[in-house]
Amino acid sequence: MFLSLAEKNHYFSFFQALQGWRSRLSATAREGGTVSTATRAQSGLLEPAGSAGVAVLATGGVASSPGPGRPGPLQDETLGVASVPSQWRAVQGIREETKSCQTASIATANASAQARNHVDAQVQTEAPVPVSVQPLSQYDVPRLAAFLRRVEAMVIRELNKNWQSHAFDGFEVNWTEQQQMVSCLYTLGYPPAQAQGLHVTGISWNSTGSVVACAYGRLDHGDWSTLKSFVCAWNLDRRGLSPRQPSAVVEVPSAVLCLAFHPTQPSHVAGGLYSGEVLVWDLSRPEDPLLWRTGLTDDTHTDPVSQVVWLPEPGHSHRFQVLSVATDGKVLLWRGVGAGQLQLTEGFALVTQQLPRSTKLKKHPRGETEVGATAVAFSSFDPRLFILGTEGGFPLKCSLAAGEAALTRMPSSVPLRAPAQLTFSPHGGPIYAVSCSPFHRNLFLSAGTDGHVHLYSMLQAPPLTSLQLSLKYLFAVRWSPVRPLVFAAASGEGDVQLFDLQKSSQKPTVLIKQTQDESPVYCLEFNSQQTQLLAAGDAQGTVKVWQLSTEFTEQGPWEAEDLDRLAAEVAT
Amino acid sequence: QAEVEETLKRIQSHKGVIGTMVVNAEGIPIRTTLDNSTTVQYAGLLHHLTMKAKSTVRDIDPQNDLTFLRIRSKKHEIMVAPDKEYLLIVIQNPCE
Repeated sequence: MFLSLAEKNHYFSFFQALQGWRSRLSATAREGGTVSTATRAQSGLLEPAGSAGVAVLATGGVASSPGPGRPGPLQDETLGVASVPSQWRAVQGIREETKSCQTASIATANASAQARNHVDAQVQTEAPVPVSVQPLSQYDVPRLAAFLRRVEAMVIRELNKNWQSHAFDGFEVNWTEQQQMVSCLYTLGYPPAQAQGLHVTGISWNSTGSVVACAYGRLDHGDWSTLKSFVCAWNLDRRGLSPRQPSAVVEVPSAVLCLAFHPTQPSHVAGGLYSGEVLVWDLSRPEDPLLWRTGLTDDTHTDPVSQVVWLPEPGHSHRFQVLSVATDGKVLLWRGVGAGQLQLTEGFALVTQQLPRSTKLKKHPRGETEVGATAVAFSSFDPRLFILGTEGGFPLKCSLAAGEAALTRMPSSVPLRAPAQLTFSPHGGPIYAVSCSPFHRNLFLSAGTDGHVHLYSMLQAPPLTSLQLSLKYLFAVRWSPVRPLVFAAASGEGDVQLFDLQKSSQKPTVLIKQTQDESPVYCLEFNSQQTQLLAAGDAQGTVKVWQLSTEFTEQGPWEAEDLDRLAAEVAT
Repeated sequence: QAEVEETLKRIQSHKGVIGTMVVNAEGIPIRTTLDNSTTVQYAGLLHHLTMKAKSTVRDIDPQNDLTFLRIRSKKHEIMVAPDKEYLLIVIQNPCE
């Protein structure tokens, strides 16, 4: 709105007053005087100055204008800072509390530990080094002659006296504790195998005599090609031996029919399967025990393997090969090569036309030219000589060194030879076991389904003597490794018969009843390291380890001669 | 030379003798009728045993000395004739 002149004058004088006030403040500031008095004076004047006090301001301002050097109204001035305390905002007090924390004192203690000195020692068994040939050293001939002259008379005298002496007649010394009875030490079984109704088909002691392994399978007819079976091993020297829990179990896809431990390696075991394969396991490796296998090639047996045997290699006596015999008539020698494969090194085939005609044999029906082999035993005196038991019931004397080729059409990577040299008189049925005597080079035993045990000499075809042990089949027969005149037989009536030819040649000396329900005993083995132990496996799937009485474990005097005499007198 | 052979043959052909051997003072076999490994075994073991027997006799009575050693076992009898330089070992099977 338009302001009247008077109002303009009012405002203009008001502004002048304000400027004058400003300049007065600055003047006093320059002069160093107290601003407060000036302001008070001014404020006294200013306070009542509301809207109506403009005129008073104007007059007050004009009236009190002191001092020289006062700047003009349009000049810049710097003023001090005025602070006005707030009246509405309260000062927030900070509340304080004093707290302190202190961890409890830590208890420390000093202790020192010192590892004791320890020494590492390693033990390693080494294969026995063959004794080196000692050259006979040089000697002084005249002095040796003089020596011999001196002692000869005395020695001859003593020899004579000895020959006629009766001083030691009937004098026998007993170094060990006498055991009178035969007792069962352990009854071992594997429940899953027994639940499947499997029989113990093969048994073997290892080279140290502390582990017994058994093979499960079925020996009677049935659908066994799809049956899974087991190989179980128990370590009898372990303290925590549990009869139901073997120390090593190997699952095998097919039934295992025979078993043999390696002669020097305590953990290697070879087994023959129903499918014709031969497998070698290492029981010290539980996660992958299979070492070697033959696989299913043209070379493998086409029939179940009846027996496996370890043989030393001809050049290297510390390496071994596996020999397997089966009912397809082949005798095969395998060697482990490379990555787990068993390779055929030598092979033999039994063909009817090539059997030596030492005895009259039943004519085989046409078409059957193979002769099935069911058992094998090697002679302890001649490592190339072996006896084969056949399905036809006649043992065969064979040699690894035979050269004649076999007339067979069976495919094979290695030429098959005919091994038979002599045919012995047959049993009344197939032979299940043969065993060569460890003490006499010509004697061997054979046992078969006719329940008879025949004692043969390798020099003649008819048996020396024949003993009827059972009315049922006989499944195993073994010579004792310590007593030349003792052998054991396992019968189909569930007992193990121990024969001592020195005492009685007609009836068994000891009859051990293995099974309660007369189920057959299928296999037995003597322990050659701990000679008082005999293991036998039966159709119920249990392995019993028997401790024999002392009379079966200690050789009496002149037993070997008695055996010779027996062989000689029965032969004549 | 021939005398040595003849003497040894006489002893060897005596009734029941299985083997004969002559061993020197260090236990090394000089003459033998058995195979090498058996000879080495017998020589080593019997040499030690003879030395032990000799020292036993001398310990009991220093004026005494070992003249002959016989070991009787279940299967045979071993006879040892000792000397300063040699040892004669004879193994006999006394069958009555």
